[in-house]
Amino acid sequence: MSKKIVEISGRRLSLSNLEKDLYPSYGFTKAQILEYYRRMARFILPHLQDRALTMKRYPEGVDEEFFFEKRCPAHRPAWVETAELSLDDGEGMTVCLVNDLTTLMWVANLASLELHVPLARADSPETPDAVVFDLDPGEPANILDCARVALILRDLLSPLGLAAYVKTSGKKGLHVYVPLNRQDPTFEDTKKFSKAVAGTLQKNYPEFVTAKMAKEYRHGKVFINWSQNDPSHTMVCVYSLRALEKPTVSFPLAWRELEDLAGQGIPEKLQIIHSEAVSRAEKQGDLFREVLEKKQKLPHL
Amino acid sequence: MKNSRSQPGILKPFPMQGIWSGTVSFSLVAIPVQLVKAVKPGRISFRLLHSKDYSLLKRRMFCPEEKVMVPPEEIVRGYEIAPGQYIPVTDEELESLAPEQSRTIEIVEFIDMQEIDPVYFDHCYYLVPAKGGEKAYRLLAEAMRRTHKAGLAKFVLREREYLVAIKSTEGALALITLHYREEILPYENISPKETTIDAEEESRIIKSIKNMMADFNPGKYADKRREQIMALLNQKAKEKTRVEAPEGEEEEGEGPADLVAALEESMRKMKREQ
Repeated sequence: MSKKIVEISGRRLSLSNLEKDLYPSYGFTKAQILEYYRRMARFILPHLQDRALTMKRYPEGVDEEFFFEKRCPAHRPAWVETAELSLDDGEGMTVCLVNDLTTLMWVANLASLELHVPLARADSPETPDAVVFDLDPGEPANILDCARVALILRDLLSPLGLAAYVKTSGKKGLHVYVPLNRQDPTFEDTKKFSKAVAGTLQKNYPEFVTAKMAKEYRHGKVFINWSQNDPSHTMVCVYSLRALEKPTVSFPLAWRELEDLAGQGIPEKLQIIHSEAVSRAEKQGDLFREVLEKKQKLPHL
Repeated sequence: MKNSRSQPGILKPFPMQGIWSGTVSFSLVAIPVQLVKAVKPGRISFRLLHSKDYSLLKRRMFCPEEKVMVPPEEIVRGYEIAPGQYIPVTDEELESLAPEQSRTIEIVEFIDMQEIDPVYFDHCYYLVPAKGGEKAYRLLAEAMRRTHKAGLAKFVLREREYLVAIKSTEGALALITLHYREEILPYENISPKETTIDAEEESRIIKSIKNMMADFNPGKYADKRREQIMALLNQKAKEKTRVEAPEGEEEEGEGPADLVAALEESMRKMKREQ
């Protein structure tokens, strides 16, 4: 087992197993994962900021067992920021906040390839910053069908005065975010809203959209998972790696680009890999910035 | 270097859903808080099913004149000004009257809690300190506990402005929404005035009251009907007398009528433009 001590902003961090290949059939070592997150730090950190992190750890790589970790490990360095969350049974839980580069490096070093965060910040866990529509294709539907539904969603919400933003899930689907960034919405509001929207889409496009969770309804359709608008759920963070065969990324797309790609009909083009993510983000900046900043109000609730 | 943000557990955060968040303020103090419910009524609720096939029933609006179901976009509010005569009011008109949403509960005066007749109490909530507010929160709660004082404040929640009392309960701040004066029904004529009170009889009553004195212990009393219904339900669940509703088209309704109407309108617009 190899170890390397690095110093970032005056803090010492011990990195381990840097040569270990965590994506064996593609070839992507822990050192490369750390490098990916280091270069993407300025884009991903604002989206992780002050949110209770759920780590999805793959200590033996993407082909082996993984585990979710919501509690901030007790062996954390003293400089890792944390927050106290209360659970349904009244018990408290200490969670990690990834608010700086050093913490991001520490988390990546734990082989937490995927970083998941809730829709609310840790200091206001009941106030969602956005409504999310998690578009999940049921085979044989694919990401192109999700693109079609995402575009309909955009056009449906726009006359209501709501701007929406889209990112790939990095796996099979797409995530559409409607930023709110206000103090008054509750998850009850966002769930009610997303459910009504999903219901309207299902009613108007029953041949390729479903708002029902049950597997038997999802075959060949895009499932709009509105139930993600819940304080106990998390979404994979934009710019997080995904633990597939290849190191794909949950990556934001401009609507124009999604229209083009949907028109080309090649599902693979909607899959953004680590190297492309880095070069594109460095060129175009953070296309998801507005999700953190744009203030919008949900109508008719 | 920033230290860990975790606070020592002075007041454990509540595991309940916040209804509102903002600040409680008076003079120069501003305490960030979350509002949570203090009461969960124990009433057992039932769904209404169709006895033939156990389908979940839905409420629909029916027009007896045209004998048709009325869709949400055709429903308006009317205030009954005389029998059969109404003043229609639109949502926009009501919205224009809604008080400005505010992020603060401003305490305007302090009063003795005993001065408020319980008939004024409407709903009870707790205020939970948000991050950074723990110290000031504790200070205010403690000062109010010691002095038995409550703060009176005006507070906008959703579409309404409420008069509220903020009091200390075991180191926590409780918020009670109060009825306005005009909501309280007259009670002047209830107490009989003409009869005379015999002093000896009165002291006998006072004595028997004293004999029956106890500390208020709500745990001693339980909702009997709730217990009986729960026992019945448990028994029936064991006996497997459960029925399953057929999978409905939309299980739980489509959402708020105005929203669904707006979405349908937006959908029509979108399809026209394609």
